[in-house]
Amino acid sequence: MPTDATLEALRKVCDERARPAEEGDSVADVPARYVAAPTSTEEASEVLRLAAEQDLRVVARGGGSKLGWGAPPTAVDLVVDTGGIAGVVEHAAGDLVVVVRAGTAVVDLQSSLAGAGQQLALDVPEAAATVGGMVATNTSGPRRLLYGTLRDLLIGVTFVRADGVVAKAGGKVVKNVAGYDFGKLLTGSYGTLGLVTQLAFRLHPLPRVSRVLTLEVPGPVEAGRAVAAVLESQVVPTAVEVDQPATGPLTVAVLLEGTEAGVAGRAARAADLLGDANEGDDVPPWFGAYPFAPDGVGLKLTCEISGLTRLLVAVRRTAERQDVPVDVRGSATGVLYAGMPADTAPDIAAAVLADLRAAATTYGGSVVALTAPAAVRAALDVWGPVPGLDLMVRLKDQLDPEHRLSPGRFVGGI
Amino acid sequence: MDLDQLAVRLRSEIGADRVLTDRQQLRTYECDGLAQYKVMPAIVVLPATTDQVAAVVGACVEAKVPYVARGSGTGLSGGALPHADGVLIVTSQMRAILEVDAPNQRAVVEPGVINLQVSREAAPYGYYYAPDPSSQQICSIGGNVAENSGGAHCLKYGFTTNHVLGIELVAPEGDVVRLGGKAPDPPGYDLLGAFVGSEGTLGIATEVTLRLMRTPEAVRTLLAAFESTDHAGGAVSAIIGAGVIPAAIEMMDALAIEAAEAAVHCNYPEGAGAVLIVEIDGPADEVESQFADVERHCRANDAFEIRIAADDVERALFWKGRKSAFAAVGRISPDYIVQDGVIPRTALPDVLRRIADLSGSSDVRVANVFHAGDGNLHPLVLFDESVAGQADDAEEVSGAILDLCIEYGGSITGEHGVGMDKAKYMSRMFTDEDLDTMQLLRCAFDPEHLSNPGKIFPTPRLCGEVPGRHKGVHPMQESGLAEVF
Amino acid sequence: MTSDASPVSATHGTKGADGPREVAPPAGPPAFDDHRPPSAELAADCVHCGFCLPTCPTYVLWGEEMDSPRGRIYLMQQGLEGEPMSDSMVGHFDACLGCMACVTACPSGVQYNRLIEATRAQVERRHDRPADDRLLRSAIFALFPYPRRLRLFRGPLKAYQRSGLQRMVQRSGLLERLAPTLAAMEALAPPLGRSVRLPPRVPASGERRAVVGLLTGCVQREFFPNVNAATVRVLAAEGCEVVIPRGQGCCGALSVHNGREAEAVAFARRTIDVFEAAGVETVVVNAAGCGSSMKEYADLLSDDPAYAQRAARFASSVRDVSELLYELGPVALRHPLPMTVAYHDACHLAHAQGVRAQPRALLEAVPELALREIADPEICCGSAGVYNLLNPGPARELGERKARNVVATGSDLLVTANPGCLMQVAAAARRLGESIALAHTIEVLDASIRGLAPETLTAPHRQPSHPVKR
Repeated sequence: MPTDATLEALRKVCDERARPAEEGDSVADVPARYVAAPTSTEEASEVLRLAAEQDLRVVARGGGSKLGWGAPPTAVDLVVDTGGIAGVVEHAAGDLVVVVRAGTAVVDLQSSLAGAGQQLALDVPEAAATVGGMVATNTSGPRRLLYGTLRDLLIGVTFVRADGVVAKAGGKVVKNVAGYDFGKLLTGSYGTLGLVTQLAFRLHPLPRVSRVLTLEVPGPVEAGRAVAAVLESQVVPTAVEVDQPATGPLTVAVLLEGTEAGVAGRAARAADLLGDANEGDDVPPWFGAYPFAPDGVGLKLTCEISGLTRLLVAVRRTAERQDVPVDVRGSATGVLYAGMPADTAPDIAAAVLADLRAAATTYGGSVVALTAPAAVRAALDVWGPVPGLDLMVRLKDQLDPEHRLSPGRFVGGI
Repeated sequence: MDLDQLAVRLRSEIGADRVLTDRQQLRTYECDGLAQYKVMPAIVVLPATTDQVAAVVGACVEAKVPYVARGSGTGLSGGALPHADGVLIVTSQMRAILEVDAPNQRAVVEPGVINLQVSREAAPYGYYYAPDPSSQQICSIGGNVAENSGGAHCLKYGFTTNHVLGIELVAPEGDVVRLGGKAPDPPGYDLLGAFVGSEGTLGIATEVTLRLMRTPEAVRTLLAAFESTDHAGGAVSAIIGAGVIPAAIEMMDALAIEAAEAAVHCNYPEGAGAVLIVEIDGPADEVESQFADVERHCRANDAFEIRIAADDVERALFWKGRKSAFAAVGRISPDYIVQDGVIPRTALPDVLRRIADLSGSSDVRVANVFHAGDGNLHPLVLFDESVAGQADDAEEVSGAILDLCIEYGGSITGEHGVGMDKAKYMSRMFTDEDLDTMQLLRCAFDPEHLSNPGKIFPTPRLCGEVPGRHKGVHPMQESGLAEVF
Repeated sequence: MTSDASPVSATHGTKGADGPREVAPPAGPPAFDDHRPPSAELAADCVHCGFCLPTCPTYVLWGEEMDSPRGRIYLMQQGLEGEPMSDSMVGHFDACLGCMACVTACPSGVQYNRLIEATRAQVERRHDRPADDRLLRSAIFALFPYPRRLRLFRGPLKAYQRSGLQRMVQRSGLLERLAPTLAAMEALAPPLGRSVRLPPRVPASGERRAVVGLLTGCVQREFFPNVNAATVRVLAAEGCEVVIPRGQGCCGALSVHNGREAEAVAFARRTIDVFEAAGVETVVVNAAGCGSSMKEYADLLSDDPAYAQRAARFASSVRDVSELLYELGPVALRHPLPMTVAYHDACHLAHAQGVRAQPRALLEAVPELALREIADPEICCGSAGVYNLLNPGPARELGERKARNVVATGSDLLVTANPGCLMQVAAAARRLGESIALAHTIEVLDASIRGLAPETLTAPHRQPSHPVKR
């Protein structure tokens, strides 16, 4: 590809870290034109200012593990690779706070924190995931039951606006109510409001001991009963998960963390509640993993806590009706992930989504199609109904009036 | 429409007895918990329903009259300070707990419901509402949402924002919008997350869905007395360093102890230069082993007396001294400023020393009360209004303390909010670009700047202006009331 | 119009707002004159924290700032700054029950009790009330502080005829206002003609531990003579020689709580005279409202050179009967009373006198008696002296709230230390279709010491007590 003026300009900022896009740079099968990899907030700001001047549509990419999530972008001119904006800026161990650049791999961050006996209390589903990518997609896992999600752990954010202006909100202290909480707006915004470059998180001590109880149960009702018993008890689990494969029995897993003496007692009480449970040190392999392949159909379902059982039942019913295998993993927090094979027919996938959306809505929740092959995705209403959409569009109009950041990827075509 | 006409319209919309225009009555609403700022509102309304709030907001929007929401009027940053030409919308009559849904661990409440009332209603089910601002016996949930209130126990359990799952709000243009609900992770932007703590500038919450938590099986509380705040600070660091996250760690210095003693006779150990209240809660087995750690670290840092609450009565007495400390300072000083700043916890000894230096060099007494676990300081700067110059000196020391917080990488407010009081400090903590960006959110919700104008931001932004393309000079710019970034 | 820069009177010590709406200057003379206005200094102690709000009965009912202690202090401050005494201002002062729960709740130690008393006196002197309101007030104050007139009321119809009140009452519709309360009192009182006369002096049984004077009160004496009889028996059993001075009248509580200063001062002087002449070291009271105002005589008479010192001495000798018994400690044997009892804090005992632990401790010391707490104990039952006559609406609501909470305890008996509360809660319970057995704390102790069965306290029409032994 011949060098053009846009690339020239990008190279002035990023040197050889700006290049023409290749096939592997496509976003959800939408081809990109350029890739730029800034190494700092300042460079990122210049890149986005340039994009504003040249009217480029921009998608940010971290590890790329969830780049295909959400709706496909309407067009991509420039992929901003954040991999170069990496590294821990400050780990204030005594304050249980870390400031980290967005392109840092979460696994790297965790291993560096572990040296001080601390952790960012988030589950990491894929090794490639970056901190910024997790924020953009609001990734959460089983341990959210105890620690909450990204929104609860993120205390400060630096990001680059669509016009290249660098802005920050929050700070690096846990308790802080000065100004609007932009960290929450950016969390789960799929890169549509700005490019996140630096983040501050509150940390937790690594637990001294952990124990896992697993229990096999014949059906969703028994699973629901076990989950409810643990939630109502005083054992304070870190996570309670249910694995419901397309066929066969279900497994309930309870993770307990704490001090040696404390966990021993709590595990004994949990075992009493669960009846016939196995006790061990490690979580089962499915724990915290998505029940779908990267190229499969993946759904996220939510409901009120007490709706878990009924949603598990609804999954089995619709799978039977549509004659498609649906694996589902649910958490006691009312968040479930469901997966179908990559070769699921588009109309079948759409029918399953519609069924489950109706069920989840009954129990106060929603269903989002996280990922699917292009042909299937085209048949899906990816985001479903979104209350407050009008205000969301207005927010987008303010921060990115020309809709150049991840265009079309988010709710309501944002 | 002038304000008199607006009052007539409001009376017909929501009932005459819900609209106040009597000057003496209006004046009882002229300040909130921060009584240094006073503005008499033009009209006060006391709606009972979401529809009535929406009707009032709608009428205000039509008349282009600003409005301010107020709960119990206990805020400490002037966040509910009325607008002289505006309507004050008081939610104190919207105080029904609509639902305690124990199986889903949620409560649905109206905004005027008092914080502590939620826990009282949930108690029979074995649940409680975790955020516990010191004013929890009177502050309203609506106010908590606006201010993202914290409290002593947010060290372990987080703030209001971590416990609000859904709201119904009357948006600044009068529409009723629902965000979130009983289920987690609603699709779309986390507008709820931005709304909580927006200090009434993004609309008025009319119904709030709260997370309820299981009442801890065991709670152990100790009161440790130290010679100095340095020793107490050392104990705090040791406890956190050991990987223990207590439910709360609170510190008071000698002057704060003196005030609390005078007010509530909490009977703290005599001669203490600092006391710590440390509370551990959770499963009984876990609490026992963590509590032993806490006690050990207190002793290792030279606590000269440690008391362990034998029962709920004693525990309540430990807390009574702490929770009444703000108002109690009225017993030892005719006037005082309650400051609210945050520093990284590890900077505590340094910052306390520098506050002591400030106090010494200016001859202004400072009592310190703080949430030591999360570095949230509440210096109480004492003065006597009737002595010339004292008020100004106190104001200066108070401001200098905020500068210290910023210098150490902290914040100008941990839980009281920016409101009217700290808008002028915002530009010390944030750049013009930061503040401009925040105001883009404001513009999305409230392009006319009618919802609680004049709070948080030192200078308002003109929403109609597209960055970079300025045409002519807006009258507000001309008059110096607004500036375009 | 939408200027973000609202006019703010900033920082310290500012007075009032200076917004453009504030155009009309105050109309009329300032609310307060120089004769004992509410103290500006005491009012300035309020830091506006709001901790008083949830304990204030009218704020609990209406949720309005101006009907809260904080708002009323704000109104007083406006008056001190020159605002006139408007009808609405007076309305908010009148709506205050004077329960003093706010005084207990206040972390800054604001003496609201002194502020509202001074304010009420000014209102009574300076405010023109509507004719029917004036009439009702005169009727009440012509009746309640006078035991003899009250006695006449005990046969209601006869009483109306004889007292000459009848014509006034009928003409003004007063009967409707007074009748429910009188009916409640009559329902609770022992049958006519069986009233108990107390001897002027009752010796201690066993070793004498103290000599105490007993205030017999007005309503207590006429409608609850059993309580006085029981008080005398228990005191004697606990080693007190009890002096009951003849010629004692009203202590002035009702008057002082309603701003009738001159009347209150006269009652106070007479009470001091009578008890000084009796030569007792301690004055014992079994009605919470009386006790609290007698403890404040020093304040009431501080401007009276002839009485100031005597009043201070007298005030310091006043004890609620539960306080005294707790201080003395028990000598008489308690017999079991197997029953469940809900204890209600009378405002003028708990808030005004700070007496909470003592009555509970005395009750808990009775074998087999189970004590239960009532939800929202700090909220007034709405009786508040004659408040329920003057403000029947809110009083009724508060009474029913309290009655519901009492019923919810599932107790056999409601115990409190004030005749007003007993009548108020009983009447409210009846409206709700419930019935609650009632007793004064001292009656429970009396029953225990005398070894009576629980039924003697819970029987629907309790028999009048046995005559006191001479």
